[in-house]
Amino acid sequence: MSANAGLPLGFAFWFLAYGSSWVAAEELGHQQAKVVKPAIEPVAPAAPQSSNPTASQDPPGSGLSLFLSNGCGACHTIRGTEARGTIGPDLSHVGSRTAIGAGVLPNTEEAFARFVARPDLFKPGVKMPAFDMLPQTEIQTIARYLKALQ
Amino acid sequence: MPGSRAESGTASSNATAEEDVVRVANQPMMIRLKHVVFGAIGLPVVLLLGAWIGFFNVGASSGHWKVTAWFLQLAMRSAVRTYALAVDAPKTLDRRGLPAAAGHFARGCAICHGAPGELRSPAVLRMLPQPPDLALTVGDWTDAQLFRIVKHGIRFTGMPAWPARDRDDEVWAMVAFLRELPKLDPNEFRVLALNGSDATDSDRQPATPDVISDCVRCHGGDGEGRGDAVPALAGQKEAYLLASLQAYAKGDRTSGFMALPVTGIAPDEMAALARYFATLPPASGEHDQIPAEVINGGRQIAEAGIPERNVPACAGCHIGSDKNPIYPRLDGQHAAYLEQQLKLFRSESRGGTPFWHIMATAAQRLTDDDIRAVSAYFSKRAENSQQPP
Ligand code: HEC
Ligand code: HEC
Ligand code: HEC
Ligand code: HEC
Repeated sequence: MSANAGLPLGFAFWFLAYGSSWVAAEELGHQQAKVVKPAIEPVAPAAPQSSNPTASQDPPGSGLSLFLSNGCGACHTIRGTEARGTIGPDLSHVGSRTAIGAGVLPNTEEAFARFVARPDLFKPGVKMPAFDMLPQTEIQTIARYLKALQ
Repeated sequence: MPGSRAESGTASSNATAEEDVVRVANQPMMIRLKHVVFGAIGLPVVLLLGAWIGFFNVGASSGHWKVTAWFLQLAMRSAVRTYALAVDAPKTLDRRGLPAAAGHFARGCAICHGAPGELRSPAVLRMLPQPPDLALTVGDWTDAQLFRIVKHGIRFTGMPAWPARDRDDEVWAMVAFLRELPKLDPNEFRVLALNGSDATDSDRQPATPDVISDCVRCHGGDGEGRGDAVPALAGQKEAYLLASLQAYAKGDRTSGFMALPVTGIAPDEMAALARYFATLPPASGEHDQIPAEVINGGRQIAEAGIPERNVPACAGCHIGSDKNPIYPRLDGQHAAYLEQQLKLFRSESRGGTPFWHIMATAAQRLTDDDIRAVSAYFSKRAENSQQPP
């Protein structure tokens, strides 16, 4: 009697515990993927250096050359430079606007820096990517340059 | 009281006689119930207890009982068959990833499964279950089933899952290689997987670390990338190469093919590898015929973007030596590789350096046709020339 009733039930219990999760070893695999990571923490990525002086007339590290080297010109136009993008607003005279970032920020150097680092904070769904991985000094230099575009 | 007691005594004696009859009649029923209860609660407890005190033999030396082995195989095969029904297999397998997959197989799979001309360690042969010689067994499975096994692994057997999420393209490349495997003799396997052994050993600069012999198996001694799925590294920007290696090592960029090679490389070795490949002469570009209108469509996107769909001009970040050194050059890169990366960016699953999401924004609204055209254009483009050759 006990064998008749107990064995199938015991087997059902065993199957619930192990059998139903038989094949996929995803979790296992991902644990292994973690294990193979190197023990040493890799050094921080090389800080992007400022641009190559030969390609633009501006000295490396200037606001305009940082603007161009980081690809802002792919989306923005600044007349008289090689920045001819049309996805974002024309920034040729952005320093003289009353407000920036669709009107939510005042037109100050500090506001430019905050917007460029994290535009998504001021405008949800914004089509401009965040640039907060740039060194703060470079963002500051770009902001100063933009504010001076009258 | 006593009277009533006697009375009740006689009454109760009558009753007990009746009850006894009833009890006797009910007895088998009660036993059955008890046993069922014991089966449902008691047996698992006994099994657990048995497992806890170490009654069950988990040793692998004696193998499974025949019935256990039969049951495990049945469960594994049925589950693979069922889960593979949801896999959408391509009609023909893409063979462009064969060298990368073969290279990965030699380091990541052959240790357990063996490979043409390679003996396995006796330790692996004593695994339970023993990893099968895949050259003999791949014929038992459909492409979809192989995909399912290679992507997810097999629980409780040691068969690992693919080391990177969201890289079905790599898993399919491995499936294509497994289909080739039974046809390969030891020599052909060595050529495909190991780049015919370390050809660059002689002319290697003294400053490059030994691990470079591992890299050239897939990236080639000239750094041009073997097969269209392996990127050319020759002439790529050093800062980008280094940041990419760090991204693979940290898991910020996922690739099963690159996960193994970057394991355990010291930071200074990484820097040396990036420097070495950056100084090799740049890739010469692809030579296969691509229709001119495709190339021209690609140039249009590269130089002007697609403003109505908010696709920025690629040139703004990828063309010209004045660009941020962490923005990679694309000139002369394999078109198939570029296409794959753009699709990964578009689905936000590429990862990469701390700058990667900028690129994800740029790729978001590209169609498959845009991707084909712009990849073809860059694969033909040479540095410092406006016209592709
Ligand atoms: C992928 C395209 C893209 C890139 C690259 C890009 N931007 Fe933008 N940018 C936009 C868009 C789109 C807007 C408009 C945001 C909105 O208001 O919806 C914008 C808005 C701005 C504004 C606010 C302008 C205003 O009128 O309020 C500034 C300032 C700005 N960008 C600076 C930069 C700088 C500096 C860089 C480079 C570090 C950069 N952008 C890179 C797309 C881009
Ligand atoms: C740690 C050892 C190990 C490694 C590494 C390993 N496997 Fe396996 N693999 C196994 C074992 C064990 C089985 C048998 C599972 C079973 O029979 O239930 C197996 C089964 C398979 C099967 C099913 C074969 C069949 O006919 O049953 C395929 C396909 C496979 N592995 C492919 C690969 C590939 C591709 C790689 C490299 C990416 C790989 N394996 C790496 C241990 C390994
Ligand atoms: C098994 C083949 C294989 C081996 C071995 C290998 N690679 Fe790779 N490598 C690849 C593939 C495939 C990719 C593309 C991966 C992806 O899609 O992200 C890649 C990508 C890269 C990238 C990123 C390139 C880019 O343009 O983004 C770098 C850098 C790199 N490998 C360096 C190395 C170095 C250094 C070594 C040696 C330590 C090495 N690889 C060994 C196959 C390999
Ligand atoms: C605003 C700057 C920017 C623009 C515009 C841009 N990219 Fe990128 N792209 C990047 C950055 C940054 C990376 C490096 C991502 C990483 O690995 O972290 C990258 C990487 C890539 C890669 C991967 C290269 C490799 O070796 O793995 C491809 C392919 C690519 N971009 C194609 C394009 C195409 C095509 C366009 C135009 C539609 C474009 N990019 C526009 C910034 C940009």
